[in-house]
Amino acid sequence: MTALAVSNVVLWILVLLLSVVVLALVRQLGVLHERIAPAGALMLNRGPAVGEPAPILEVADLEGHAHRVGAARADGRSTLLLFVSPTCPVCKSLLPAVKSSGKDERAWMDVILASDGDTFEQRQFVRSQGLDGIPYVVSAALGLAYQVGRLPFAALLDEHGILRARGLVNSREHLESLFEAKRLGVASLQEYFSGAL
Amino acid sequence: MIDPAVGAMLAGAFALLFVSAALDKLRSLQGFAEVFRAYRLLPDGVARLSWLVPALELTVGVGLLARRSRAGAGAAGAALLVAYAAAIAINLQRGRRDLACGCGGPHARRPIAAWMAWRNLLLAGLLAPMLLPWIVRPMAAADAVTIGAGTAVAALLYMSLDRLLAQVTPRTAPLRGSR
Repeated sequence: MTALAVSNVVLWILVLLLSVVVLALVRQLGVLHERIAPAGALMLNRGPAVGEPAPILEVADLEGHAHRVGAARADGRSTLLLFVSPTCPVCKSLLPAVKSSGKDERAWMDVILASDGDTFEQRQFVRSQGLDGIPYVVSAALGLAYQVGRLPFAALLDEHGILRARGLVNSREHLESLFEAKRLGVASLQEYFSGAL
Repeated sequence: MIDPAVGAMLAGAFALLFVSAALDKLRSLQGFAEVFRAYRLLPDGVARLSWLVPALELTVGVGLLARRSRAGAGAAGAALLVAYAAAIAINLQRGRRDLACGCGGPHARRPIAAWMAWRNLLLAGLLAPMLLPWIVRPMAAADAVTIGAGTAVAALLYMSLDRLLAQVTPRTAPLRGSR
């Protein structure tokens, strides 16, 4: 009987300690959620507005295929337009994320890379970064239409040619914030979090 | 008939709950009066009597600890909890999801949610044993451990669940279904 009583007391002490630990963990979880809310792509207040039809442009990629960027698509797929440049170091570090995101999201989205400048340099860039298979468009008009000032810049167009999200993307997190913004139906994650808090 | 150790544990845990809720409201009576008005259930004139709510909570909390007043306090506490659940449910029906619940102290601005109404109904149900008479048996030292530690564990787990449901879940819910 004493053994049972001792074991009971020990168990109570352990359960109490466990409850304290659980409470501490839950508090930490709350703090963590406050601290590391996902960062969204930086929005610059110029260029086409989110939620409005994107400008429709006829462009050709380096392979010579024609693309109607911004037009409604019969196959119901969205388009991620990513503006890069061979001279932008951040673009190079972002490209692996773009490739894997393009693969992960290929069920509903196509990636088009856009750039501007000397075609020879662009071809070299495509070769060195292993970008074959992703349409690569060299067009000054595209950059002007979206008023791209800083790179890497991304714009997500839905199947109706409506601009769903856009912004400066420096990391995979920023890039994926565009997909989340489209999925949540908000212009940016920043808007979502300012509404949620 | 319930065992006195179980009964005392329940009474202790609910006394803690009601007294801490009352103290949270008493710390800022003005703030609570605003919350009370914001629920828009009673005319504004009645809202001046909002201090009666923490007073009632305090009475229930203390009443649960004495044998004579236990059944009455249990019934009043259950009625209070059901009233809160109804107030939350009515305002959720009105579509007011951003209404501050008025729980968790003057600085906590939490919106009301369906889980709070269900929680209150569950707590009201747990108060039912307070109406039952207790078995008479000699109390041993082990009973003190059961009552003391049991009450503390119940309070700690309640605080953990409360945090989890109020702070953590609402933030993760929209991010969960991303893929």
